[in-house]
Amino acid sequence: MADSFQKDDADKDASSPLDAFSDRLDRVRADHDPEEKSEGGGAAWGNALRLSTELIAGLFVGILLGYGLDRWLGTSPWLLLAGIGIGFAAGLRNISRSMK
Amino acid sequence: MYSLRAADPMEQFEIVPIVNLSLGSIDISLTNSALWMVIGTGAIILFFFAATRRTALIPGRTQSLAEVLYEFVSNLLRDTVGSEGRKFFPYVFTLFLWILVANFFGLIPSLPGLPHELHTFTTTSHLAVTLALAMLTITIVIIYGFWKNGLGFLKLFAPSGVPPLMYILLVPIELVSFLSRPLSLAIRLFANMFAGHIILKLFAGFVGSLLAAGGALTLIGIVPFLGAIAVTALEFLVAALQAYVFAVLTCIYLNDAVHAADH
Repeated sequence: MADSFQKDDADKDASSPLDAFSDRLDRVRADHDPEEKSEGGGAAWGNALRLSTELIAGLFVGILLGYGLDRWLGTSPWLLLAGIGIGFAAGLRNISRSMK
Repeated sequence: MYSLRAADPMEQFEIVPIVNLSLGSIDISLTNSALWMVIGTGAIILFFFAATRRTALIPGRTQSLAEVLYEFVSNLLRDTVGSEGRKFFPYVFTLFLWILVANFFGLIPSLPGLPHELHTFTTTSHLAVTLALAMLTITIVIIYGFWKNGLGFLKLFAPSGVPPLMYILLVPIELVSFLSRPLSLAIRLFANMFAGHIILKLFAGFVGSLLAAGGALTLIGIVPFLGAIAVTALEFLVAALQAYVFAVLTCIYLNDAVHAADH
């Protein structure tokens, strides 16, 4: 099996098997180039679905932290209000980070 | 005739114990959720056992599939984390496969007539499961981040190049943003699977009710039927996509842990 493959390549390239192998290696290396990032439809879909939860999660954690700290320190409602603001900003930060 | 109970779209998410077990006062019963986790994990192990049993230079079908999966995750890690990401390969690969298989197995239709305990169950449609996976990821990020960078890991919360006064505002924002990551990771997977399965069940339920209504309504039943087919196809896309998204985000967060001090 492997022999027939090698012969095919050698015939096509009309050069030594080593050169043919080097060509093939270059092609594989080009495929593996980290510079080349795939921009398929799947990745775009993933991005779109991702953003929806980012904002909510940031806001939720901000509110939760604010509320928890308020109950702990007895500063209600100031840290909750600050938490809403910071949470919203964190949500936007999440979005800007994932759209990068 | 199908019972009306089967049309309840929430029934598929109910957790039912199959074998009752307890450890002291802790309930560790084997539930339908646990059963499908075991089935999924077992299927992955069996598949890779079969794929690597006889490895050939020119791979057969199972070996090809295993190699494609391996290269897919391997490339993903190299693109997002770099060469240092190699050591996280087992974790990301396991995570990706486990979620992928759990999502796909949840789409297998239940055999009619089986007791509720043995209906197909989507483990990833429960927030407890997805949140546990997300917490595991973020725990690895935090531990590895501190182990690798020491206190330099904290630079993650203090972006460079801003006036010092801004840190009063920026550090809390970055901190909340970091803490919200596991949550958004978990909610995304859970919500996608949960919503998809409800829509699927609703469409299928409409078909049954319209068929039972008789007359002209029976003919209209074709509409939700086509809808159910379309949603099934979409769900396969979502199942693969969400496993991919979870793996990508895990890689991005791991990248932060590896390169925190470079910020």
